[in-house]
Amino acid sequence: MLRQTWRYRDLVVSLTRRQYQLRYRQSFIGFTWAILTPIATLGAASLVFRHVAKLGTGSTPYAVSTLAALVPWTFFATSVGFGVVAVVNSQSMVTRLPFPRVALPLSMVGTAVLDLLIALALFAVVAVLTGAGIPASAAWLPLLLFVEFVMVVGIVLLGSAVNVFARDLRMAVPLFLQMWLLVTPVMYPLSAAPHRLRGWFLANPLTGVVENARRVLGTGRAPDVHLLMPALVGALVLFVIGVWYFGATERRFADVI
Amino acid sequence: MTAIDVSNVTKTYRAGVGKARFREMLPPPFDRLTATAFPHWWRKNTFDAIDDVTLAVQSGTSLGIVGHNGAGKTTLLKLIACVTAPTRGTVKTSGRIGSLLDALVGFHPDLTGRENAYLLAAMHGCGRRTMAKHIDNIFAFAEISSLADTPLKRFSAGMASRLGFATLTAIEPEILLIDEILAVGDANFQRKCVDWLDGFRRNGGTLLFVSHNLALVRSMTRSAIWLDHGRILGRGETADVLAEYGRAMESREPESRVVKRTANHRRSMAARGEYRWGVGGARLERVHFSEPNGDGRHALEISIAYEVTEGDDARFCISFLDESGREIGGTVSPSMTVGRGSGSLRCAIEPLPLRPGIYFPVVSILASDGVVRDHWRLERAVVVNGNGEPLPDFLGPVAMSFAWDQS
Repeated sequence: MLRQTWRYRDLVVSLTRRQYQLRYRQSFIGFTWAILTPIATLGAASLVFRHVAKLGTGSTPYAVSTLAALVPWTFFATSVGFGVVAVVNSQSMVTRLPFPRVALPLSMVGTAVLDLLIALALFAVVAVLTGAGIPASAAWLPLLLFVEFVMVVGIVLLGSAVNVFARDLRMAVPLFLQMWLLVTPVMYPLSAAPHRLRGWFLANPLTGVVENARRVLGTGRAPDVHLLMPALVGALVLFVIGVWYFGATERRFADVI
Repeated sequence: MTAIDVSNVTKTYRAGVGKARFREMLPPPFDRLTATAFPHWWRKNTFDAIDDVTLAVQSGTSLGIVGHNGAGKTTLLKLIACVTAPTRGTVKTSGRIGSLLDALVGFHPDLTGRENAYLLAAMHGCGRRTMAKHIDNIFAFAEISSLADTPLKRFSAGMASRLGFATLTAIEPEILLIDEILAVGDANFQRKCVDWLDGFRRNGGTLLFVSHNLALVRSMTRSAIWLDHGRILGRGETADVLAEYGRAMESREPESRVVKRTANHRRSMAARGEYRWGVGGARLERVHFSEPNGDGRHALEISIAYEVTEGDDARFCISFLDESGREIGGTVSPSMTVGRGSGSLRCAIEPLPLRPGIYFPVVSILASDGVVRDHWRLERAVVVNGNGEPLPDFLGPVAMSFAWDQS
């Protein structure tokens, strides 16, 4: 399946480009949405966690610390949100044309990567404006994002395949993302979580990515390996399961969809 | 060389769309294990769209596929195109496949014509750079250059299928699967496609052609298969298969029961290739054909039973459509005083001077001022048989009489 995907890379690129154009076609503010989404989340988060819950983020400004975590989270949420429905939404292509179905969810992850780049630029602007600056440890970020990318591809492949057979997933995904956002240290640092629940937080593979992003972008420290390992293992497991399940069932998509 | 090799293929679909089914989610090998362990659970609510079909198509040849709606024609093409996988059996193909499985082609409604052309080519494994060279030719071929930057949702079905066909010409397929796509284009574009397909075949391309337009199947293909309920009922030379298929349609009994004109009924009639409409006030009850020799080369007698509820005068009309739905001839009776109530009349037709083929009679009853009271395109066909020689002794729709003299 991986080799076939490579052979059809033009298709993935083409679909990504199309999806990206389409997402903002006939809308007023176009790709400003890519900036607005993390900003709005940041605004709400800062209201609740900084002013209501009086949460401290140490020496790093709350906005920078939270935005550092929001960048990888937004990538995760857009990929999963759009990716899971990717195959079902392209019903007319799936039932009529022979092409590797994996191109559909991958192109959705591709559009999320473009959003991610915009969000990173936004982070850079905010970091400079608030005077926090961009630490040298930001060079670790590509590694973290790569781990997240592998995880996201696994989840999206698994989810988009299951969604073909059981549309329940379409309903479940927003709910699931909402809950996942709350249990992942995005709007609050991991240090604010009670210590006895730390094991549970680490069981969430996204914790390692998000909290380490906060470390390398915000506080300027190298990634914490103890945090990263669960994320890496989780990413690999999800990737293998996703690729296997999608590959095993994709021949049936056109019949069931 | 065999371009397409289909052996013992069965395709099972589930009937109806309801709740999600757990059995469909099982990945291999668990699906096969449970299918063996619980065959009843596995087979519940399913039907075989293709039932143990074996077929080999040599490269450089063309094969027509005919059959009534729901016979499995499209499913067979989808299996060959690898859009769907066979439940049992194997499908092997060699060469790049281009497929147009219906008029919508799988285009995205919000993308422009140009973007869709690129996307369709990419789906066939054809990269952007190759396509960039062809894109202007594509729109020139489809004759819709002015629409290149219009979203596809503003296209008519005919224009969309033009674009689909034109894009396929650019990706240089070796095997081409075409399902009823030419039916939506107008006559000029159809001609253009047929010419292109002729060239495609001469250059060694393999063509699979599905159509209800039997005239087109006849001109496009040398050999054909006739599918019925997922099985191959006939295969061989196109002329023979079409004659066999025509005979089967001919033996279908015309519907004689009183027809309720509900929307559902109209839909089901249209699905069977039967059309009936009219303002009412009189209706055709029964139409019966008798052919003394049954080969269409002798006088044909048509008896019509009718019932009139409005007006005293009526005119009757009998005409024939050819395989492509074109009206090729007919007659309108003089105005007759029929009176209210039931009645019947006969019409004798001299031997039809038609080339071998399948013809569909249309009978209608008109008010004296020409308003159509009941118009019925019969499901039964009239078959004119050829003399069995490979070269047809007629060209065109009419059988003319000639005398050749070598001097």
